[in-house]
Amino acid sequence: MKTMRVIYEDGGHKWHAIVRDPNRPHYLIDTNEYLVVAGDDAILVDPGGSEVFPAVFSALSTQFDPRKIGKLFASHQDPDIISSLSMWIEFNPDIKCYLSWLWSSFVPHFGGTKETFIDIPDKGMDIVVGGQRLQAIPAHYLHSSGNFHLYDPKAKILFSGDVGAALLPAGEDGMFVENFDRHIRHAEAFHRRWMGSERAKRDWCSRVSQLDIDMLCPQHGAIYRGADVKRFIDWFAHLDVGVIHG
Amino acid sequence: MTSGEGRDSGRELRRIVRINEEIKTVVKTAYRINLMAMNAIFLAKRAGQSALGFGVLSNELRRFATELEQQMIALGQATSGSVVTVTAMVKEAHVVRMLERARAECDGRGRDALDALLRRHRETTLTDRRDQVAALNRNLAMMIESTARLVEMGGVLARSAKIEAAYGGGFSQSLKQVSSDFEGTIGEIRKSLDSLGKFRLREFAA
Ligand SMILES: [Fe+2]
Ligand SMILES: [Fe+2]
Repeated sequence: MKTMRVIYEDGGHKWHAIVRDPNRPHYLIDTNEYLVVAGDDAILVDPGGSEVFPAVFSALSTQFDPRKIGKLFASHQDPDIISSLSMWIEFNPDIKCYLSWLWSSFVPHFGGTKETFIDIPDKGMDIVVGGQRLQAIPAHYLHSSGNFHLYDPKAKILFSGDVGAALLPAGEDGMFVENFDRHIRHAEAFHRRWMGSERAKRDWCSRVSQLDIDMLCPQHGAIYRGADVKRFIDWFAHLDVGVIHG
Repeated sequence: MTSGEGRDSGRELRRIVRINEEIKTVVKTAYRINLMAMNAIFLAKRAGQSALGFGVLSNELRRFATELEQQMIALGQATSGSVVTVTAMVKEAHVVRMLERARAECDGRGRDALDALLRRHRETTLTDRRDQVAALNRNLAMMIESTARLVEMGGVLARSAKIEAAYGGGFSQSLKQVSSDFEGTIGEIRKSLDSLGKFRLREFAA
């Protein structure tokens, strides 16, 4: 089973991180899932692959009634993001999945019907969960051509999908970034190889620099807090991406 | 449902493939009979008056081969149709397997919710699937039975041709050869049908 930890709480408004699965087979990439709860409503952010569904579902059920999850947010189309969709639909046939319009005819190969998906237009949109207004922030080409991050202005949390991801070795896989310089070495190759567009990267950096962010939560690796958020954005801004090195 | 069912569903797909391969064999054999019958018709024409009966039987054998081919095409279509059902079962088996694994890992509310869900699934979807598989099997069995009757008739035609060959005068020897070829080929078809009759799809998602 994975671990679910509260990373933000203000009354009925909570962010949970679902991380690290000790039983995960080594050939599956490790993923972080996030559950945002507001009152009686909840959205599961990047629900994960079908293989990790049991670990995610059981971790989540320890602290939350899974029947209250009415919404899914898929940052993009990858199998490690949303191939568990058919299980979530089996569990709750009325569940809605927010996803870039670009992928709306691809992801149904994982499950769901026209009614399941809510298309996010390229410029992004607001997603209201309980009373909270979350924002789908464009992050196209980082790495997916139809890609969104999710910003919670009240919690000051930015879920950043594959941006900020790090492939952490055992023993250095804490939930939060503790030593930025040491941590970022495990993020460098990933960003160089996966992030395809220099221009998209610059756009994203200037866009998110204007947001007030306390925590930057990637889909793989550790969460950046406080000053490490700006450190990461600066590091990313200066990184050479979209080229295969040697 | 256990993890064995994924493999079971794979087995059902392989079973369908084997049925299809057998069907293809019969279609090829039917085509061969058709050609053989055409040759037999020419041979009978050359043999003239003495091989009139043989000629009529050869015509019947040709008609038999055509009908056999059509029945096999229909059987092939029915089997491809069952791929849809089996594929749906494979997908469902996967989803249910994951839900089962989640159920085993969690307790409390999550477990209760999954229990209810899996119970409902067993009562509705699985019952539907079982009915569908039963219907597919009935249909398959009926089609194979009617083909078996047709092949029996082909056997009778081939045996009669053998008797007629005896009256073929100077052509008697070659007519005899043709008619025993017919018999042998129909024997092959009978064997294929026998093994087709043994195929049954099994509902595995229980
Ligand atoms: Fe990805
Ligand atoms: Fe990813």
